[in-house]
Amino acid sequence: MLRGAEIFLQCLRAEGVELVFGYPGGAIMPLYDALEGSGIRHILTRHEQGAVFAAEGHARATGQVGVAIATSGPGATNLVTGIADAKMDSVPLVCITGQVRSALIGTDAFQETDVFGLTLSLTKWSRLVKSIEEIPSAIAEGFYWAREGRPGPVVIDIPTDFLKAKMEFVGPVKFTSQPRPSDAQAEAAFGDALISLLQQAKKPVALIGAGAKLSGAIPELRQLLDYLNIPAFATVHGLGAVIPSAPYYLGMVGMHGTRAANMALHENDLLLVFGARLDDRVTGDPSRFAPNAKIVHFEIDPGQLDRVRACELPVIGDLAKTIPATYKKLQGVKLPDWTEWRAIACGEDRAELDPRGLSQLTVRFLDELFGRLPENSVVIADVGQHQMWAAQRYRSSSPRGFITSGGLGSMGFALPAAVGVQLSKPDTTVLCVSGDGGFQMNIQELATVRRLNLPIKLVIVDNKYLGMVRQWQQLFYQRNYAETDLSDNPDFVEIAKAYRINAERLNEDAMQEFPVSEQTGDSLERFLKSSEPELLVFDCAPEANVYPMVPAGAALSEMLFDDE
Amino acid sequence: MHAFHIHYRNTQGTLMRILTAVSRRGLDIHYVHASPAGHGHRADLLLEVNAKQIGQLCRDWHAIVDVTDVHVGTPTPEMLESAAGSAGPHPPASAGTNGRSASAAMA
Repeated sequence: MLRGAEIFLQCLRAEGVELVFGYPGGAIMPLYDALEGSGIRHILTRHEQGAVFAAEGHARATGQVGVAIATSGPGATNLVTGIADAKMDSVPLVCITGQVRSALIGTDAFQETDVFGLTLSLTKWSRLVKSIEEIPSAIAEGFYWAREGRPGPVVIDIPTDFLKAKMEFVGPVKFTSQPRPSDAQAEAAFGDALISLLQQAKKPVALIGAGAKLSGAIPELRQLLDYLNIPAFATVHGLGAVIPSAPYYLGMVGMHGTRAANMALHENDLLLVFGARLDDRVTGDPSRFAPNAKIVHFEIDPGQLDRVRACELPVIGDLAKTIPATYKKLQGVKLPDWTEWRAIACGEDRAELDPRGLSQLTVRFLDELFGRLPENSVVIADVGQHQMWAAQRYRSSSPRGFITSGGLGSMGFALPAAVGVQLSKPDTTVLCVSGDGGFQMNIQELATVRRLNLPIKLVIVDNKYLGMVRQWQQLFYQRNYAETDLSDNPDFVEIAKAYRINAERLNEDAMQEFPVSEQTGDSLERFLKSSEPELLVFDCAPEANVYPMVPAGAALSEMLFDDE
Repeated sequence: MHAFHIHYRNTQGTLMRILTAVSRRGLDIHYVHASPAGHGHRADLLLEVNAKQIGQLCRDWHAIVDVTDVHVGTPTPEMLESAAGSAGPHPPASAGTNGRSASAAMA
């Protein structure tokens, strides 16, 4: 006879789980009581939001399902932002929440919340377990849906009495889905239609999103793009999918995308979309998005099609199959000569960044750091101006090398996510870039970093403002800097030292020299190569802005390049 | 008005997810009926939506794990009649007596 908690953990192991992140409490205590000897390593964070972001970091870095555990009530509600984040960015995540004793459910018992109802619109699937016998099937089905198709979050809510109950356990179960009639997708026919569209196109382009990376078909995608040799660009989540040195690659597209990428996306007449959902950060004003383009949309989730306008050719299915199938179908097919279009779209007069880009000292700082990183490093960015600068300057061809909260844009993501990434990739340099606002939202996870001796390289871009909001206030609200002043920030160096983490400060003046001085270079090298966790606070100009910028409601062609 | 018929397996939360797809868009549900149908269940909804919303809703419903099929159709007389019969002011008018406020009426 095994306790429900033991059965629960055995079923997690059967799903390949070796690492979980969590925070104990009353209702979930029986699960914690069974951890020792379970073969599962539990990482104690200092807030449940830290746990769920760390689980996301693990999932984003490895492609495995991230697992976060919390108790009932406030523990569960503290997971909600992370669940929403995983939903928006297609991250496979299983959240396990303790629940009050089954007989008390619905009575507003101590630390009871309807987490099932609360997370309905944020989860792919969820289950309030109603008996100990349900535990194996709930876990099997939860992991299945977390991984299946477009990955996403699930919640398994388990009343505490079922964790304590006992039953004879014969072993974990497998879950298989009943096929849905709509799942049957006639992929075979798309080849001829695609060839016809390519042969008619004068200005074809390719947009690469997260889905291309999630499919695992990066080598095949690169092979196809090399073959087509058309201008290509990436969403923030598509960064790293295309080799940056490819002559047709134009960088990131969208609200803070490069001029070349935005202009090509605006001017094209055939848009091949690989695993991107064409959200508003990419399209600008949807009514003026790519006005001449026919859209071919490679996508695993039919729900993402036709969001902006009807696509000419939907190619629904796993990109791991449809991309190589496309390459195969195009062999021997005569395609137009797009040399002239390429020369325009990829030409030098459409500089990758506006000429002032590198005059921003923060940009130079990030450039300097990124240039010193090993190729297989992972950069995690929080949310704000620093995030966009980091995305603009990211140069690696590592598909899982740039991790950020994109769709939800949740500040406080980076530090706990970095914990998850470093634990998953102990031999990798992990650079965590935050702003002074976002860093403070999960600053307590410095304790987790120190306890585990994670050699994360932490950077705070400290402009003493909620910088991105301030930028919008400057440009669109007549400089009314309402509630964005953070000039009374604490001394982050002293805070880090209180957590026994090495820290130093670097003023942006150090970036005035180009290239940087030997002394500055040595500081950066020491910071990056240290075997300890390190914090570097970069004191920078308070009112530097991120450009290019497509204002809200504007077309991609209507970028701003400076403050005027 | 459009009638939507969503076939689904009646697992935990599936009906709620179907309805949440509507409510998150701020749409009024003029008629809703859910009942067993064949090997599963069927939810019939009457909604006032435009063409773009029809596409969005159908895609959202199809994406729900235990939804098996979605059809758009013409409202039945029963649906329209039921919707008309239950129509009321939104939000409901305050209870009052001779123009006094509700709290005064209850004092």
